[in-house]
Amino acid sequence: MTDKRTTNRALVRHVLLPTIFLTVALTGGVRVAAETGALVFLPPPLVTLLLALMLLALFVRGRAVVVGAWLSGELSALAVVSHALTLAALFFASAQSFNSVLPDAGLPRWMLSFFFLWTLWQNQFSAFDARRLLRSLAALFGTAFVVKHLLLASLYATGGGGWLRQLAGALFEGFTSAALGGQAYAPATGYVSFFTLALYVCGLLLMPPAPEEGTREPARAVDIIEMFRQLPPGDRERVCAAILDEGAAEVTQRSIESTTMSDEK
Amino acid sequence: MRTVRLIPALGVAWTLVYAAFVVWLYATAPQSIKDVTTRASVAAGTYAVDRARFDAGRELFLREQYAAARDEWSRADPAQQDARTQFYVAYSFYRQGWGRVYTDDALFRQGLDAVNRAIALSPDAPLNIADPELKIHSAAELKAELEKGTERTVDDLNPLKVFRERK
Repeated sequence: MTDKRTTNRALVRHVLLPTIFLTVALTGGVRVAAETGALVFLPPPLVTLLLALMLLALFVRGRAVVVGAWLSGELSALAVVSHALTLAALFFASAQSFNSVLPDAGLPRWMLSFFFLWTLWQNQFSAFDARRLLRSLAALFGTAFVVKHLLLASLYATGGGGWLRQLAGALFEGFTSAALGGQAYAPATGYVSFFTLALYVCGLLLMPPAPEEGTREPARAVDIIEMFRQLPPGDRERVCAAILDEGAAEVTQRSIESTTMSDEK
Repeated sequence: MRTVRLIPALGVAWTLVYAAFVVWLYATAPQSIKDVTTRASVAAGTYAVDRARFDAGRELFLREQYAAARDEWSRADPAQQDARTQFYVAYSFYRQGWGRVYTDDALFRQGLDAVNRAIALSPDAPLNIADPELKIHSAAELKAELEKGTERTVDDLNPLKVFRERK
């Protein structure tokens, strides 16, 4: 059972995660032209590389990725290379995720780029943990997705568009189509982008902060007792004293709590 | 335990192969899934021209249906990787653009592009096509004819030009 678990975790770390992130890197730049239906591959622009770098710095600050543990000298060389490739894949996946939700040209592109840069820059200096970071990222990407693939796509849609088109038209009234950087893509582009973001979030959820944390087995009482029996007598006494001290502290705490509760009653 | 040790090696190999595939896709920028398979077969060295379509195109070419012939050849050689097919494409542009009084520059330029592709695809030896129905057999000669057609010279004003022969 333990072997199977270890194998599965290693497979996730060395095979599944790079596959997910590389797929995100692949699909993040894919667009489908509206008129011809041809695939268009957009490599990551410079601004998305910068955003990805800032995001990775946030991952490190929020301890969502402990780089020292991923590239630890205690691991085998092959494992370190594999981990380095996974981190590189994470970087390019992040860049292409930004590429996927940023408009391709015009004013909205610069506005959204600025918002992303501002948010990521501000977050560099605030207290963070991995969970909050993920929530914040989901909101960030979700907003950009809605702006690009619902609002702007609705604006450029030929025929129909409904209230969203009218709302977007009202918001951007006065701007020319060139200022908006309009390039019509097929609705399939939005689906590809949604799939990309969903896969990216899945990859982030699967990614452990440190590779070895996941493979370490939780301590079991039977193992601890066995190890205790193998200790020399002096060490056994020290362990017993420590356990008794901790036990006494716990008992005292519980008795204080129960006394307080009965007094309140 | 042995399996676990093998996984990082497997991961490194798989990641490198997949990353190379992604880079290749962005470098070649195929326009459709079919295009992906075509370009993959070119990269793998298994690409081959559709012989039946090529012959169908040649039949149309001999009947002076040049646009239709090129359409067949574009299906026979979608990746434009066959020197012989590209030679015929260039020849069709030459014949369609040739005129007794003047030549169609736009068609001749497309012909030049095609003949340059054909020459580039046979770097080892001069490209010669042994086809008794053609009057030009070498790619170099066809290129010279196409270049001559796009140039503006005093000779263009020569009235005897109308007696020249289409090759």
